[in-house]
Parts: sequence; C-alpha cells; structure tokens
Amino acid sequence: MAGLAPEGSQFDDKQYDKKMQEILTEDFFTSYDDVCESFDSMGLQENLLRGIYAYGFEKPSAIQQRGIVPFCKGLDVIQQAQSGTGKTATFCSGILQQLDYGLVECQALVLAPTRELAQQIEKVMRALGDYLGVKVHACVGGTSVREDQRILASGVHVVVGTPGRVFDMLRRQSLRPDNIKMFVLDEADEMLSRGFKDQIYDIFQLLPSKIQVGVFSATMPPEALEITRKFMNKPVRILVKRDELTLEGIKQFYVNIDKEDWKLDTLCDLYETLAITQSVIFVNTRRKVDWLTDKMRSRDHTVSATHGDMDQNTRDIIMREFRSGSSRVLITTDLLARGIDVQQVSLVINYDLPTQPENYLHRIGRSGRFGRKGVAINFVTRDDERIVFDVQRFYNVTVEELPANVADLL
Amino acid sequence: MRPILMKGHERPLTFLRYNRDGDLLFSCAKDHTPTVWYADNGDRLGTYRGHNGAVWTCDVSRDSARLITGSADQTAKLWDVSTGKELFSFRFDAPARSVEFAIGDALAVVTTDNFMDHVPTVQVKRIAEDIDDQTEESALVITGIKGRINRAVWGPLNRTIITAGEDATVRIWDSETGQLLKESDKESGHQKTISSLSKSLDWSHFITGSLDKSAKLWDTRTLTLIKTYVTERPVNAVDISPTHDTVVLGGGQDAMNVTMTDRRAGKFEAKFYHKILQEEIGGVKGHFGPINALAFNPDGRSFSSGGEDGYVRLHHFDSDYFSIKM
Repeated sequence: MAGLAPEGSQFDDKQYDKKMQEILTEDFFTSYDDVCESFDSMGLQENLLRGIYAYGFEKPSAIQQRGIVPFCKGLDVIQQAQSGTGKTATFCSGILQQLDYGLVECQALVLAPTRELAQQIEKVMRALGDYLGVKVHACVGGTSVREDQRILASGVHVVVGTPGRVFDMLRRQSLRPDNIKMFVLDEADEMLSRGFKDQIYDIFQLLPSKIQVGVFSATMPPEALEITRKFMNKPVRILVKRDELTLEGIKQFYVNIDKEDWKLDTLCDLYETLAITQSVIFVNTRRKVDWLTDKMRSRDHTVSATHGDMDQNTRDIIMREFRSGSSRVLITTDLLARGIDVQQVSLVINYDLPTQPENYLHRIGRSGRFGRKGVAINFVTRDDERIVFDVQRFYNVTVEELPANVADLL
Repeated sequence: MRPILMKGHERPLTFLRYNRDGDLLFSCAKDHTPTVWYADNGDRLGTYRGHNGAVWTCDVSRDSARLITGSADQTAKLWDVSTGKELFSFRFDAPARSVEFAIGDALAVVTTDNFMDHVPTVQVKRIAEDIDDQTEESALVITGIKGRINRAVWGPLNRTIITAGEDATVRIWDSETGQLLKESDKESGHQKTISSLSKSLDWSHFITGSLDKSAKLWDTRTLTLIKTYVTERPVNAVDISPTHDTVVLGGGQDAMNVTMTDRRAGKFEAKFYHKILQEEIGGVKGHFGPINALAFNPDGRSFSSGGEDGYVRLHHFDSDYFSIKM
C-alpha cells in the first residue's frame, strides 16, 4: 500500500482542508462552549429525564454533553460526531424538550435519507418521549398513503420521514406546516447532496420562515457546510477534523484480490467467520446485490439481502429478522450505509469499495457502534488500490492486510 | 470450550442470574424484556413483557416460581416464571436498580437511584404468598447514602442488608431497624464506583467489582477484607464459583470510549482468578464489547457472560478446569 498518491484523487485532503478553513473563518457561526457532564445538569424537564434514564442512558456521550443544550435553547445547530456516538439521542432530546404537548399539531420535522433510518429514529424518539406522551409518526414511502393521511389528521407532535413522502403529504396538505418550529436533517451531507437537495429545498420552502434548523452527520464536507448557509441562522457548530473521524475501535483490513471474479470465492472462504456474529456486506449496485445473493445461496450459504428496489414490506421483514438475529449475513447497497444501528453487528465487508468517499466511513460505522469494537474488511482489486491508499491518507487510518486467523478478531 | 452464543436481546446485557437448580438462566438487558433460557443448551424459553425501560437486575425465588425485576422505568415487577404473567408492579419515584429476594422469599430488597431531587434509597418490600394480598408498602426505607446504590443483597439469615455503589463504600445494615452496622475501610477498600457484588454459595463471604480495576473478597459478618484481585481493566461484573476456589471478573473499558481506541484497549475477556492465591488462572475471550454481567451455574460446571454487544455467551468448562492444581 505504500507509494505516492496518484493524480486525480477524489480524496484531495489539501483541497478539503483549504475549503474548510475558508468556511470556518467566516463570521457565520455562534460560539457555544458549555459542556454538561450529566443529563441532570442540562435543565431538561423531568419526564424527558425519566425517558432518557428509562432508555438505559446513564451518562451523556461527548456529543450529547455539548449538543443537547444549545439545541434546547432554540439555536440552529450543526453537529458532527463519529459514527455510533449518540447523535440521534441528541436531536431527539432537543426536540422533545421544546414541544408543546398540549398542542397536538406537528411541531418538529426530522428528515432522513432512508426509510429504515427514519423508522429507527422514530423508535428512539418514541422511547425517549414516552413519559411526555409524545406522538411521533414515521412518514416514509412504500407505505399506505391513506394510512399516513389518517394518522397525520389525528394529530402528531413530531414527524420523522423521508423527503419524498413528506413532500407529498405537505403538498396534499395532509401535513400542515403552520406549527412546525424545528427542522432536523439527519445524515445532512447526504440530504444536501445532488440526490436529495432539490427535495429538501422544496420542503423547506413550505415551512414557516421562522424555524430552528439542526443538521447532523458523521461526515460534513465543506460543500454541505456551504449549502447550510442558505437556510441557517448563525448556527452553533460542533465539527470534527477529517483525520479524527475514523473510529480506532474499528479494525480495518484489506484482502488483495487480483480480479473481480475472484471476490466471490474469497467471500465464501470467509463465510464461516461471517456467520459467527452478524455481518453486513456492501456492494455498489442493486443488481449486484441480487446477483451476489443468488450466488451465495446457490453455494448453500444462508444470506439476506435488501436494497431500494425491493418492496417495503419485504425490506421491513428483512430488517426485523436481521435486528433480532434470525438472519446473520446481510447483503446490501449504501441504502444501509448510514445510521442503521444493529446491536450485534461486528463485521462489515466492502465487497465493492464505495464510490463516494464519505460512504467508506459510514459503511464501516455499521460495526463498532457505541460500546462495541468492530472489524471492516475491504476486497481490493488492482483497480481499487488507489482508493484504499486515498482512504488511509485522508482519514489518517491504517488498513492492514487481513491475517489468516480472522475469526480471532470477532 | 466452545461457547454457546445466545441471541435474543437487541441491546446491551445488564444482568444474569441462574435459578437455584441451575437449569434456568435469566438475562436482563436494556431492551425492556428479561429473557429466560435453558441453562444447558442455551435455548430460549421465553420473555417477560411489561417493562417500559432498561431492566437492570433480577432475582428468582428458591422454588423457581417467581421472578422479580428492577427497571429504569421506575418499577420493580413480580412475574410468574412459567407463564410469563406479570403479577405485581412496585412503583417508585426513580429508576429501580437492584433487586433480591430474601431467604424464604417473603421479603425483597430494592434500591432506587438518585433522580432529580430524589435521594437513593434501599427499600424492603414484603412479598405476599397470595398475590391478591400483595401491597406496595415498604417494611423499611434506608436513605443517607450518597450516590447510586448499584447492588443491595441480603446477609446471612436475612438479618442484614449489604449495599455497595457509586461512593465506593460497602455497608452492612440491620434489616429490621435500618441501622448502619459496618462500613468498609476507606484505605484498603475500593477507590472508585463499585459496579457489582456477588455472594458465595453459603453467603459467608462476597466479592465486589469496581471501576478501580480490582475486585475484593469480604467476610459477610465482619466486613473484613479477605482478598484483592487486581486487573488492568474496570470491573463491571464478578462471581464466585460455588464448587471451586475460583472467582471470575469481567469488564473492559468504559462503553463510551470503546469505539475511540484501538481494539487491544478493550480488554473484554472474562478473567478467572484463584480465590485464595489471588493469581490469574486464565481468561475467556469472545465479547466485542465490555462484559456487563457474569454468573456461575450453581453446579459449578459452566458460566455465562453478558456483554455490551448484546450477546449472552454460555461456556461449559473443559475437564482441564476441574483438574487445575496451584
């Protein structure tokens, strides 16, 4: 893996740092330095504290120590933190603290890039807000429009959704924006990227002009920060340097595979190890998910698969089976690269290396979640060598050759 | 030894408890649903649904008919073990942390956490034989302890209650009057939060685990410090073998720091020490998060560990273990 970086690298660290420095020196952000070392010292209402402790939290994580209070004060916030370190609970707590529970109208809108992630956030919000009597609804595509309309008509405090369905509900006036005073983008850099940006813009246009905005992600490139200036008002920022984003608790390895065709054999060789614990295998296209799934099953290996083209009911069943441990090996696309938190996942395999730099961090962040070490294995063909080199340099991480005793790592 | 991995919990484990006969293993986790497993092969028997928060501890009656659970949802609940039916709910003003039945199962000790203005308490509840006669009334309430009380257990003949927790002090109380009888010595005792406590089979001594990276063995009557086991990691869980002179310690670095440091820093193995000689005998690897719970089977032939990774691991000892000579 040694050698000079080839030209034309996507992971251009000098360019990234230069742009970041330009943005950070502008007079756009609010300073906020307070740190609260316990939930009790944050000034949260009693029933929210009950929900936080009932969830099993005992001490706030680093992002929670800094991030909950400014959000509760109604400030716009940009909050970046490593994968699996408590960002969801941060914005859920901030929203729950500020809701008017006597008003059963939508007061907070959270947008997430995938249906699975929106449902996961809804579950956390519901759990933390249980003693407050919060009504929260996951408004995602692939489900009954009529059912969504019925639930929204009966009144909810918070909507967590994916952009397409949320925009549709707003357009049909099933979701009325009049009382929405908090707007959160989870996985914000993805939400502000080419794929979602126009939808976000359309939704934002329909929201009240005076609104609090929170953006959250483990990766926050300068392009995303640039866009936030158009709709945020002097946000409090918590940012992490790119070379501190990688979690040391996730051990990263590569396997040299000369040709693409040999990846399948390598994966089958590893299968016994995969099935010991729970693993996610990432490939780059939906068609390839189907192909790899068929190949693995034809070799009598039990695997599950999910991607964006599958119908929602099937996706839900597969996620439920994977979360509960009924199935142990899941093949997917970057649909599940972000946010998904399954307790027993300890191994991620990049069968294909990601085409987007940030997704490397997000993918391996499916293992190595709060309180758990993880392992990531990259299948590297000759064409991929440059990407691995770039990842190592850009994120200041070491990717070692996979040892023979891989089972000992798990 | 090839471990049996028990999957069923979707969030970190908090506590493990065998019944007296050793054929059932009860596990508690942050996912609200205590679970019962066959202790020999790890098959899941059932779950107890009703709690609305993380479940911190449990205990099972001598005849394996009743289960008591303490939860962060500010209740402790009684359950029928075989049907999974919730029998009764004790409500508190703060998360319930530790629960244990007394000998005879007519009493249970429950601790509650400090929460906002509420101070931590140790409470004794009467347990009615006929559930229709069950009330929430406390026979005794002990206050005056600063910091969370992580564990409270009965002493010999139910005459005393032993407590340990955040202030690093072990205390022995009179279980009728609530009077403080003994307190552990500040210098030789633990220096940081005591996370866990487990009694020997005959209750004559007990072991405590602490974030100060050690475990200590105490005499139950005199609170004399008998032995100290030093490790290089915070200790979250401890237990004493019922049949051999061994103790087991488990833990690992603080869950909050696990993903921020290299994997070698985790130290998630269960470590076995010779109870008398205080020397490390060996370790068992496998968890990829801190160990939060440990328990020996009452027959001494197996043990279970529960981790932050959501797994319960059941280990039957090799024959080598039974022929260890020191």
